Amino acid sequence: MGYLNNSVVTVDAILTTRGRQLLAQNDGSFRITQFALADDEIDYTLYNPTHPSGSAYYGQALQNMPLLEAFPDETQIMKYKLTTLPRGTAKMPILDVGYTNIVIKQGASLAITPQTLNYLGGNQSETSGYTATISDIRTMSTFEGVGINTADATALNSATTTLGTNVSATVVGTTINLRATTVNTLFGSNTSLNATLVITGRDSGARIQVPITVTKVS
Amino acid sequence: MSFKAFETDDFVVSADSVTAGLWTGNQPILTTFITSSTQVASSNGNYYYNVYNSSSLTDIQFAITYGNINGSGSQNYDDAVNGKSPSSTIWGQYRTLVLGDENSNFSFGGTTGSDIWAISIDRNRYKESLLPGSTTLVLENGANYLYLTDNSLAVTTVEFTDAGRVFQLVSGSAGVIDTTNANGYSATKGSYGWFLPDISTYILNPQALNETISLNPARNSAISNTDDNNATLYDAIVDGGSFTANSQETITSDFIFVRPRSSEFNYSENPSFISGSTGEVIYSDFINNPQVYITTVGLYNDNSELLAVAKLSKPLLKDFTKEALVRVKLDF
Repeated sequence: MGYLNNSVVTVDAILTTRGRQLLAQNDGSFRITQFALADDEIDYTLYNPTHPSGSAYYGQALQNMPLLEAFPDETQIMKYKLTTLPRGTAKMPILDVGYTNIVIKQGASLAITPQTLNYLGGNQSETSGYTATISDIRTMSTFEGVGINTADATALNSATTTLGTNVSATVVGTTINLRATTVNTLFGSNTSLNATLVITGRDSGARIQVPITVTKVS
Repeated sequence: MSFKAFETDDFVVSADSVTAGLWTGNQPILTTFITSSTQVASSNGNYYYNVYNSSSLTDIQFAITYGNINGSGSQNYDDAVNGKSPSSTIWGQYRTLVLGDENSNFSFGGTTGSDIWAISIDRNRYKESLLPGSTTLVLENGANYLYLTDNSLAVTTVEFTDAGRVFQLVSGSAGVIDTTNANGYSATKGSYGWFLPDISTYILNPQALNETISLNPARNSAISNTDDNNATLYDAIVDGGSFTANSQETITSDFIFVRPRSSEFNYSENPSFISGSTGEVIYSDFINNPQVYITTVGLYNDNSELLAVAKLSKPLLKDFTKEALVRVKLDF
């Protein structure tokens, strides 16, 4: 990995791991239809609204920073999306899933029902639901989203999983149902497995990442 | 909302030609030519010689082979069956590959013969094809030498064979024809061969080479290794000391135009944009005049799965007074 040359504007795209997988499936699922923008790597505490030289210099520490090249792991990029909200928004939507980390026993089940705080004047479940991405689908025997019945959500929730391969999986729903794997061989000599669960509000863009630990029972 | 749907005219498909030096390390000129004594002495050495760029014998650059319609110039497979030898096999192989018809013969600027030399570029050297007009091959035999190139820059109508485009090999350099003889051909034996860029192959006309630089293959079936016709051409290339060519590749790209409007994408879910656990924006100025910096463009499918991603080379400021237009290039 290296730094991009910031003397010219360069926007060459790379396929993500999931993009390559869908391209290989050759079933039409690799079809770009929408975009999102993110400000990964930006630290807004560097923005200085009291800069003595005036407003032209408020963003001095940010606007010329060199950026890292893109990562192909879709769970490690586009972390912090830019979102469209009415002017005058004082509080940003944030997600509450009830957990800061999840520890689940082998074979145990868990239902997660996210809430979006500060969204459209209150705390609520988003109409379009939530996208949940687990970094390693092998750790779950069940990973499904329920509550959203649009065609795209149904297609995603019924997508074929690449068995035995360390790839991410994404589902859509208002509730995310998990059941930890019962397969012992995955643990090897370890007593636990680790993954991350990223939940994103489909309307608000609010995002939360929760570490998951699956503990071996026997 | 954090996603925005593309419109039809946000997508443009483009095909661009990319050229590079043909040889290892994208070098356009090859000046060192080494064979492997092991390969030459092996059974496939009866058919072709692999030529490397260094004595480490790591990267094959091209292969040299000789074909004869009568099987002459190499030993018969079986003494009882005349005319069936590695050279007749090679002849049949290239005739099928290039002409497709067992009754056809190679015609080099109007001259047909009974044998050919072929130079086949190793697959790892070129991306898709050879670049017409880039070849300069120097052959030397004793005091005689010849610069060969293709006539692609001079022809107005491209001819095709079963192996795609075909151009005549003529006297000259880098596509510029030496017109000492008409069309850059030999005096009476037609062109010096064919250049087949789509299969990355040169087919040489021994009659023309013999007429110009006295480079002549042995045409008997009791040939010994010292008369090996592959070695004859190899020696002429070594003595010439220079083989220049470029490769060519057509890269198909999707250009996708990302157009965030002035009222869109002005707030961020970045944790540093938020103060505390209740979601307040970090600076009070950001309530009515948020300033965000775009660093990453994500391309998604209908299921909101991230398919491709592009990073800007530096952060791009976005607020309610600015619209952005970002062109994302996706190569296949």
